Amino acid sequence: MFNLSNLVQKAQSLIDPTQALNISSSDRNPAKSTLFRHQFRLPDTQNPLQEITAELTISPPVAYTPNVTQGEKERDRARGYHYVGKLHLSEAYLCFSTQPTSFLQSASTGTSSLFTGQTHGAGPGGNGFTLPLCAVRRVERLHSQNYQFALSITTWNGISNPPAQDSKTPILQQKITIQLAGTRQACERFCDGLKKGLKSGVGEVGKLKRVVSECYSEHLLSSDGKKSDPPDAGLGMLFKYPGDARKLRDRSKMRLWAEYLRDNGRNVTLIRQPTFHKLIRVGLPNRLRGEVWELTSGSLFLRLERPTLYQDTLAKFDGRDSLAIDEIEKDLNRSLPEYPGFQSPEGIGRLRRVLTAYSWIDEEVGYCQAMNIVVAALLIYMSESQAFFLLSALCDRLLPGYYSTTMYGTLLDQRVFESLVEKTMPILWEHLVKSDVQLSVVSLPWFLSLYINSMPLVFAFRVLDVFFLEGPKVLFQVGLAILRINGEELLDATDDGAFISVLKSYFSKLDESAHPKSENPKLRAVTRFQELMVVAFKEFSGITQSTISEQRLKYKDGVLNNIESFAKRTSIRNLGPDSKRLSVDELGALYDRFYGILYERQQRSQILQEETERLAKASRSQAAEVINGLSNNQIIEKGRVGLGPSPSLMDYDGFREFLASMTKWAITDSPTSPEKEYLSDREKHSYFGNSIRRREALSPWGSGPEPADHEFMQRLFRRWDVDMNSALTLQNVVTGLAHIKGKGDIMGSITYFFELYDDDGDGKVDREGILRISEALLFLSRRGLEGTLGLPATPMTAVSEQNHGNIDQLDPLQATTNERFLSSISAFIRRCFEYADPDHPQNQDEAQGTGNGGDDAEDLLELNSPRDDVAPRGKKPTGLDSVPSAISELDPEEQHRKVSKAQSEAANAALDPSKPLHITLPTFRMVVLADELLEQFFESSFPLSFRILEQSTPVISPSPLTTFSSLSFNRSPVSAVMGGAGGTGSVGLLPPGKGLRGVLDNIVTDGMRVAAEVRRRMEEAQKEMEKNALHRPEEDEEDEDGYDPRSAGGYDAERRSVRSEDRDLLEGADAEAGSIRATDGKALPVTPVSPAGTGLEAEPKKDRSVSALTQKVVEFER
Amino acid sequence: MAEAAAPRPSSSVKLVLLGEAAVGKSSLVLRFVNNDFQENKEPTIGAAFLTQKCNLPTRTIKFEIWDTAGQERFASLAPMYYRNAQSALVVYDLTKPTSLVKAKHWVAELQRQASPGIVIALVGNKLDLTNEAGDSTNTSGEDGDADAAEGDDGDARKISTAEAKEYAEEEGLLFFETSAKLGTNVTEVFTAIANAIPETSLKGTRGPGSTQANASRSEDQSRVSLTGPRDNASKEGCAC
Repeated sequence: MFNLSNLVQKAQSLIDPTQALNISSSDRNPAKSTLFRHQFRLPDTQNPLQEITAELTISPPVAYTPNVTQGEKERDRARGYHYVGKLHLSEAYLCFSTQPTSFLQSASTGTSSLFTGQTHGAGPGGNGFTLPLCAVRRVERLHSQNYQFALSITTWNGISNPPAQDSKTPILQQKITIQLAGTRQACERFCDGLKKGLKSGVGEVGKLKRVVSECYSEHLLSSDGKKSDPPDAGLGMLFKYPGDARKLRDRSKMRLWAEYLRDNGRNVTLIRQPTFHKLIRVGLPNRLRGEVWELTSGSLFLRLERPTLYQDTLAKFDGRDSLAIDEIEKDLNRSLPEYPGFQSPEGIGRLRRVLTAYSWIDEEVGYCQAMNIVVAALLIYMSESQAFFLLSALCDRLLPGYYSTTMYGTLLDQRVFESLVEKTMPILWEHLVKSDVQLSVVSLPWFLSLYINSMPLVFAFRVLDVFFLEGPKVLFQVGLAILRINGEELLDATDDGAFISVLKSYFSKLDESAHPKSENPKLRAVTRFQELMVVAFKEFSGITQSTISEQRLKYKDGVLNNIESFAKRTSIRNLGPDSKRLSVDELGALYDRFYGILYERQQRSQILQEETERLAKASRSQAAEVINGLSNNQIIEKGRVGLGPSPSLMDYDGFREFLASMTKWAITDSPTSPEKEYLSDREKHSYFGNSIRRREALSPWGSGPEPADHEFMQRLFRRWDVDMNSALTLQNVVTGLAHIKGKGDIMGSITYFFELYDDDGDGKVDREGILRISEALLFLSRRGLEGTLGLPATPMTAVSEQNHGNIDQLDPLQATTNERFLSSISAFIRRCFEYADPDHPQNQDEAQGTGNGGDDAEDLLELNSPRDDVAPRGKKPTGLDSVPSAISELDPEEQHRKVSKAQSEAANAALDPSKPLHITLPTFRMVVLADELLEQFFESSFPLSFRILEQSTPVISPSPLTTFSSLSFNRSPVSAVMGGAGGTGSVGLLPPGKGLRGVLDNIVTDGMRVAAEVRRRMEEAQKEMEKNALHRPEEDEEDEDGYDPRSAGGYDAERRSVRSEDRDLLEGADAEAGSIRATDGKALPVTPVSPAGTGLEAEPKKDRSVSALTQKVVEFER
Repeated sequence: MAEAAAPRPSSSVKLVLLGEAAVGKSSLVLRFVNNDFQENKEPTIGAAFLTQKCNLPTRTIKFEIWDTAGQERFASLAPMYYRNAQSALVVYDLTKPTSLVKAKHWVAELQRQASPGIVIALVGNKLDLTNEAGDSTNTSGEDGDADAAEGDDGDARKISTAEAKEYAEEEGLLFFETSAKLGTNVTEVFTAIANAIPETSLKGTRGPGSTQANASRSEDQSRVSLTGPRDNASKEGCAC
C-alpha cells in the first residue's frame, strides 16, 4: 500500500509540477519556507506543510443554525464571493491566497517563472485569509458533486465578546467554504494534516481570546448597549490623533471598516477581499490603524504566539541597566516632540518601556537611533504591547539589518535605491552624478525612519498603511515617486543643500493641490500626496518585492565589503601604540586572521550543532527536515562582520587555531580526526549530493590544520590575556604579537620568554620551569626553525619549504642543524641547573655560602672572573647593560675553566631536591647567549616563526590585503584542505614511504619525548635523592669520570642522582626507553635506526648509570 | 536656497561635525546657526543639515553643515557625510577623556580618508563645566550633565588645555575650547575655519560642479562607498 501511494504521488508530481512541492523538492529549496512566511506574514515557527489548489467561497455571515443542509450551502455559494487560489497549511495556520504563491519563484517547478512579485495592490497575501488554526471552531466536510472535497469552516469570529443571551441580534457566525481541487489522494492528505493541526490548536483558544480582546475591532463590533471601555488604541485616544479628523474623513472610514469587518471577519479571522486593500489605500481610520497594521504586518501572529512576552520581558529585566538604555534615555525627548503625547510623562514612559523591552529581547540590535521615531509613531495608534511586536516584525522582517550595529540593511537598501533611480530616471541620475550629490544623504532618513520624520505625520502614516500591507518595496516606490515628481526642480539643484531644500519644500506642501491651476475641479482637488501615491503605485508598479530582493542580492557583497573594510580600517587604526611595532600590512593580515577564525569557528559550531539536531530529528517527519534545511541557510548568513555584531573574543581553542594558521609549531602532530575517518565519511556520504559541507562540519577544526595543544601555547594565551577574560580581543592579540615580533631585539625576546615561565612574576623560574622551558624549546623547534639558524652555510629556508610539502628530500645540512639545536637544548638544561640559584640562602654551603638566593649566578661568575661587573642583584634584570659582560664571561676558554672549577658545587646545589632552586633572568640570558643556536633562536627564528603575512598552511589565500571575507571564504575546497592537513598536520606520523624526511621528523619527536623523559627522571631522582641523601659523598668521587667538562654539570648531576637509585628502578627505565625506541622503529621501518638511537649505542658505557633517554639528550651535544 | 544678492563674493563650504555621542555637536551648531535666527532644528536621522553664513571682511562663507549622529553604529555612515567636506569640526567633551580618544580616531579617519586639505578644527566643548568658564560664575552646578565628575572645586575638566592643544598642534588642527551653552568661542570656531579655508578651494555656491567634484564623482562608482574618496582625491586633487 505504501509503495502504491508513493507511485501515485510520483505520477501526480509529473502531471502537476506544483504537487511535487508537497513531497520532497521542498528541502532542496530552503528559501521556500521563508517566502511562505513572508507571504502570509507568519512567525518563524511556521513552515509550509501542505499546499493545494482550492476555491474559496465567502458568504455573508448567517444566523447560526446547527444543521446546515446541502441546499443552504449551495445557496450561500451562489450569493457569496468566489476566489480561486492556493490553500496552504502550516503547523498552526491555514492560509489562502489568490496571489500566485510567491515562493514558487525559486522552486524548481515550471510555474516559478510565472510569478513576478507584482501584487497589484493586494499585498503579497492577496485576497484570502491567514487563519490561525486555533481560531477555527469547526470544520465540516461537505458533499459536492463538482468537487471531491469541500470543507466548511466555522471560525471563532468575535470570540471575545459573545452576544448577551438576551440580545436581540442574531448570533452571527463566520463561515467560509473551501473546495479543494486535487486528486483524492492530495485532498485526503491535506485534510489529514488539517485535522492534526486543528487538534493541537485547541489548546491555544485561551491565548486567542486574550490577544483578540486587545483589538479595537472587537470593541467596534461589540453588540449594542454593551459599550465597555475600549481597548487601548494608542496615545491618540488620550492626546488626539494627528491631523484633522474631519479632513481625514475619519468617521466615514470608520463606518466603511465596520461594515467590512462585520461581513468579512475581524482581526485573526479577517478575510481579505478587494475592498480591504482599497480601504487601506485610502488611509486607515485612527482607531483601527494600529490593529490593521498589526494584522497586515503579521505582528499580530507574533503576539498570538507569546501574548505576554512584552510584560514578561519588562518584568524580567526590571531595574537592569544597559548601554542601550542609556542611549534610549538620551533620545526620549527627541522623538516626535511636536506630538503632545510625547511631551507628557505618559507618552515618554510608553516609549521608554517599548524601546527598553525590545533592546532586551534583541540585544544584537539593542537600540538604534531612528527606532525611537518609528516606535513613537506606532505608539500613537497602538498599545505598548502591539508596538513592541510590530517593532520586532520591523526589525526582523520588514527592515532587515536596518538597525543592526553596522546598519548594513540601511546601506544596502540605499545602494538598491540608487540603482533603481539610475534605472528608472537615467537623466536625473546623470545629473546627480555630475553635480556630485549623494542621493543617500537625502534618502537615507526616508528609509531609516519610514518617512515619518520627512513628511508631515498624517502622510507618513498613509505610507505606513500601505507599507505594512505590501512590504518594503513601498518605501522604494514612494522614494522613486518623490524624485520623479520633483524631477525638474532637482535637475536645477547642484549641491546637497539645494537638493535637500527642494525636497523639504515639497514635503511641506503635500496637502496642497497638485494641479492648482487646473480647470477641472476634480483634478484640482487632487492633493500632492494623492498624486504621490498614484505615481508610486502606478508608475512604479514594476518595482516589486522580487525586484528588491534581486537588487539586494546583487549589491549585498559590495556593501558588506565596504562596511568590513571600514570596520577593519577603523579597528586597526584604533589598536593603540603597541600596534605601531607591526606594519600596516601585518595588522591587516592579523585582523583578517583573527576575525576569520572567529567567524569560521562560529560557523562550524553552528553547523555541528545543526548536524546533531538533524541526526536527532532524522526519524521525524519531513517537516523537521525542512526546518533544518532552512535554518542552515539562514545561519550561514550570520557572523560576517558587516552583518552586525560578530564575536570579538577568541577563546583558547580559537587561539590554538589562530596560532596553527600562522606558525608551524602550533600544528598538532597527531590529529585526532585522521584522514581515514574523513575518507570513510566521504564514502558514506557520497551517495548524497550534499556531502561536502557535512564532511567539513564533522571536524571540530574545520578546514584548517588541527592545532596542537601545548603548555607553551597555554602560557602564551594567558600572557596575552591581559584582562583575564579567558579570551583574547584583537587588541590583545596585536599587543601580544607586537611584543614578540616587535623590534626583533634579542634581549626583549629572551626576557619575554623568561617572563612566560615566571609564573608569580618574582623574577625566578624554578626547576619545574626550566624543564618546561626546554620542553617549549623542543616543541617550538620540532618542525625546524625559521630564519638562518646555525651556520650561515645552512639554508634554513629549506625547512619551511619542506613543511609546505614541496620538497620531499631531506636537506642534510638541515638535519644537522636540527640535531645541533637539540643538543643546544640539552646544553641549555644542563647549564641552567649548573648556574641555578638555590631558593634558600641557608641551604647554600660551600662556595655559595655568602650569597643570597638571587645572586648565585653572579657569585659564581665573580669567583672566576674578577673583572666582571657584578650583575644586577635585584630580581628585576636591567637588560642590556649586564649582557655584554655576560657574553664576555662566556668566552669558551674562560667558561671552561670556570665551569670545571665550580661545577661540583654548583651541581650539588642544583640537584639537591631538598634545596629548591631557580634561575633568574640574567642567568637565563647568559645561558641562552652561551649557545649560538639558542641565541639565534631568540634573535630571529622565534619571532619569525609567527608568519603573519604568509600563510603557514597552503589553504588560506595569502594576500595580506584581502578583506577577511575573502580570506575565510577561500578555505572551502575540502580536498585541498585535507591534503594540506595531511602534509603539515601529521608530519610526526608520516608513513614510511616519506623516507628521510620522516627520519628528521622523528628526531624532533624523539627530542620531545626525551625532554619529557628527562623531567620524569628528574622528579624520580629528586625523590630518590631525598631518600639517599646520605650517599652523596661517595658519588662525588665519580664525578670526575672523564667527561668533557663542558657537558659535565647537569648531566653529571643527573647521573649521580640516578646512580643512587635502586638498580631495579633503572632497569625499568631502560626497558621503558627501549620500548619507546621500539615504537620508533616500527614507525620507521625504512630507517630503523634513528640518529638518536645511534648516538645511544655509540656510548654504551653510560648505560650503567644513567637512563638511556637522558643520555640521548647529552649525546646530541657532541 | 535663494540667497539675496550678496555684496561680497559668496562661496559655500561643506562642514561636517564628528564626535562621540553627547559631546554637544548639535548644541554647537544650534548656537552658531541660531545667532542668525535661522530656526532649523529638525532632527534628521543620520545627520542634520543646516546652513549658516559667516561674514568675513573680504567674502561671505556659507557653511553647509552636516551634523552627524553620534551613536556608535552610525559611524559607518560618516564617510557619506564627510565626503567632499572642506572642513570638519571634531568635537570632544573636555570632561570626558574617552571622547578625546574618539576624537583622535575621527581626526585620523579624516586625515586618511577625507578630501586632502580638509580643514579640521578640534573643539573641546562644555567649557562651562570647568572653573575657567569665562565669567567666574560657576555654571556647572545648574547643568545636569555635570554629574559626579566634578571635583570639590567644581571643576569637572578632565582634559587639560595643554594636552589637547599639543595634540592639535602635532596634527595641524585648529583648536578651540568652547561652551555651546554659554556661547563661548562658538562663532570664533567657525570664523577661524572660514579663514583657514584656502581661497583656491572655494567655489561659487552654484558653480555647476567643480572639476574636482566631477572627476572624483565619475570614479566613485559605488555611491554608498565607505572606502572614501582617497583614491580619487589623490589623483585629481586640483583644489590644493
